[in-house]
Amino acid sequence: MSLTKEFIKGIYRENPVLRLMLGLCPVLATSSSVSNAIGMSAATTFVLVCSNFVISLIRKGVPAKIRIPIFIIVIASFVTLVEMVMAGFFPALSKSLGNFISLIVVNCIILGRAEAFASKNTPISSIIDGLGMGAGFAFAMILIASVREILGAGTWLGFPLFGTDFEPIAIFVMSPGAFLTIGFLVAFLNWIEHRRSAS
Amino acid sequence: MKEIVKFAAILMLVAVIASGALAYVNKITLPRIIAQQDGELTNGLKSVLPGTENGVIEPVEIEGEIVYYKGFADKKKMQPVGFAMLAVNYGYSSDIRTLFGVDTSFVLLATNILSQNETPGLGTKCEEIKYGDSSSWWQEQFIGKFLNELKVDKDGGQIQSITGATITSRAITNSISQSLTWLKEEITENNQYINF
Repeated sequence: MSLTKEFIKGIYRENPVLRLMLGLCPVLATSSSVSNAIGMSAATTFVLVCSNFVISLIRKGVPAKIRIPIFIIVIASFVTLVEMVMAGFFPALSKSLGNFISLIVVNCIILGRAEAFASKNTPISSIIDGLGMGAGFAFAMILIASVREILGAGTWLGFPLFGTDFEPIAIFVMSPGAFLTIGFLVAFLNWIEHRRSAS
Repeated sequence: MKEIVKFAAILMLVAVIASGALAYVNKITLPRIIAQQDGELTNGLKSVLPGTENGVIEPVEIEGEIVYYKGFADKKKMQPVGFAMLAVNYGYSSDIRTLFGVDTSFVLLATNILSQNETPGLGTKCEEIKYGDSSSWWQEQFIGKFLNELKVDKDGGQIQSITGATITSRAITNSISQSLTWLKEEITENNQYINF
């Protein structure tokens, strides 16, 4: 498979959130505003690319029986690194994402890619796979966060979209809103896929 | 048996490399994080004691620990502005650290939440600043409040709680109220400001 294909697959065909249904917990939790979604996507993509790269580099020296703890150490180290760099250089973002950054460790997209892709492929294609999956995650996050922020707060990236008469549907920034938005999006994509395979 | 030793050695090697790398990054970022927090406190103190821009804010220590701050409008400490104090309380999912300032008759001047990790979209609204505004819409209502008004509306007070985040609202309000009660007693007993 060519490198471009490796990248593209993460965005739609194997989109981690909307197609593979991976890592839904951080999506539910941090998609309440577009700025949070962007910060979370950037952090996740960074961890994904770095851990994919390192795991792919060391894949031949890692005994199969202890691969999971080793992957977790690699992933946790990168997450901690992101957390420290963010607290030091982007304090506002670090404040608004809070402990969801440390929870990237248990995001199944990252361990999933390490296990399913990086441990079997070359470092270069693993980096591309990480970038593609990160882009897919960011795409899904920003889409979901846009729906939730526009309906739930009447703003997009903090800019007000409607006049003062607009009464936001507060449930959309709460957890049920996340479930509703993701549910409808997944149903919509499945409907498209269904029509496509039917024709 | 031999396998276990080999696995343990590999895991140890990975852990040592990982912690070494993290220790190195920590060495670079820690001073910045500390500077960040110091700057946050200094700016926070200025924001809760309006009028001290050209003056001084000095910490007051009791038994070696900074307990509250005194603010003056001038460098010679002749014109007192009021007091500031840090109130900490556990909210819904995190410790909320709120800085508040009162004037010399203990009427609230302003509040500033330094850190919290409440539910995004609900509890975090306690810090939300609407587009085009300069201060938090929820915290604005604290300005000009007296100690006996510091309760959320559900507890019969004057502070409107955030929809869907009563626990967060109550935690912040009660923490300010408790700290202010203590501060008032402490200062009236020791006649701190009245001497000026």
